[in-house]
Amino acid sequence: MTESPSPSPSRLWRPAAQRNLRNQWANLSSYKHKWLTLSSSARSHATSLVNSSLNQRFVNARDLGVLSDLPGIIKKASFKLSKQQELHRSKLLASYRSMVAIVNQMMTIGASMRCFPKGPDNSSMLQFSNSSVDATDAGDGGGVPPFTFWSISSFEKLAEELIQMFTMELNLKRLLVIHFISMSSEDVQHNIELSWMDELYIGEFDDLRKCNLYSIEACTPLLPKVKGRNTDKLKLHTENRLDADVLQVYLTTWLSDVNIDKYRLDEIFTSVGEEMNVTLV
Amino acid sequence: METMIKKYQQKFKKVKEHTQTWDELQSLLLSHFRNASSIIQRLQLIQDSKKYGSLKSVDGIEAAVLAKQMDSLQNILFSMDKTLEEFRFIVISLEKIAHDGRQLVRGGGSVQPKIGKLQQRIGIKPSLSDCLEGLVQLHDMHQSEYLLKSSVVSALPTITLGPSESDLEALQQLLVDQPNIPKDEVQFIYDVIFAEDIC
Repeated sequence: MTESPSPSPSRLWRPAAQRNLRNQWANLSSYKHKWLTLSSSARSHATSLVNSSLNQRFVNARDLGVLSDLPGIIKKASFKLSKQQELHRSKLLASYRSMVAIVNQMMTIGASMRCFPKGPDNSSMLQFSNSSVDATDAGDGGGVPPFTFWSISSFEKLAEELIQMFTMELNLKRLLVIHFISMSSEDVQHNIELSWMDELYIGEFDDLRKCNLYSIEACTPLLPKVKGRNTDKLKLHTENRLDADVLQVYLTTWLSDVNIDKYRLDEIFTSVGEEMNVTLV
Repeated sequence: METMIKKYQQKFKKVKEHTQTWDELQSLLLSHFRNASSIIQRLQLIQDSKKYGSLKSVDGIEAAVLAKQMDSLQNILFSMDKTLEEFRFIVISLEKIAHDGRQLVRGGGSVQPKIGKLQQRIGIKPSLSDCLEGLVQLHDMHQSEYLLKSSVVSALPTITLGPSESDLEALQQLLVDQPNIPKDEVQFIYDVIFAEDIC
């Protein structure tokens, strides 16, 4: 019997699957770090925004005594603070936007853990893909573990658990972003109205759809929630927009990352790393 | 006699190395303390459901935020305990150096040399008793300071139950001041031991 000149697809699958998995999980780890870093800088922008807004209210309400003889001093101070707020607001939005983009990338990675053959005579492996040309090939090597113990689905389930944490946390932070950017202590006419259903930047709903955070039927982003619980209705409170205590609670909630279980996150990356024989940070 | 003085000076150099490490640990401890303080001061606020604004609609948010903050606090307290252990290690090392210092004058034996010999000074070099006392003083200062830091840190869990901003500030100031290690006295000891290097 003569040996066929090109190796069979199943022999090609295993090394390609290993390479792909190592790549994807390394990327996942790097995105995790980026998200956490962005979240942290977003929080500083939010803090600056909060402080600036509270200061402005203070300046406007204050009796400056002898200083009030100086022409326009309150107006000037207020104007400067408004400019500052503009800056912090746009930085906060930019950070939020980047965080959405990262979750989108994570979703793509989560859907790219399978390998399909391509090329003439199925002679080489496509590294990753969301779908197969050939409906009979599931891209998972028929359930065979690419490394030692776990099948491709096990890797996919862990990725899904991880990505879900970031997705849910992103949605919760969305609520906080809405509140932070709509603070204003100037004339009531300039106050931006609070609504869960308005896009925070052009194209946001497309991005949220990719993260499964947007309901097309209801034409609204899904309601933010805490893992394991359900949010029935969202009522946005506008009466205490500049209540320092409430703002402090919002900032603490941001800092807490309630939907991200850091221990479980480390556990997932450690065990995946062990299975793949690499070190994932 | 001169070689003995040189040996003592070596010991003081070793002590200086330890105190440099002490200073690094001090920065670390203060940073942990400030973080713990921030969390403790917020604890009452985050347990007040009236202060959650729009987050009130999100079922379970209060408990989740509280759980995370308590977890962070636990981690910080744990790190502070580890840092205290490092301080304790330095105190033990200083004790050993002082002990070796005492052994040095006895020539390894158990005979205490005459007072006159101990207090003899050659030029601006330190006397043997200057050296001995210096080592003992430095050890005692750091040991008392370690005990103080220890009690400040152990006070934190109790403060968590009934936080007061002024209490936390007072404790932080105690950590910062290091009252048992007066800088000028320490400098005076080194000035005596290394007088010839200064002139």
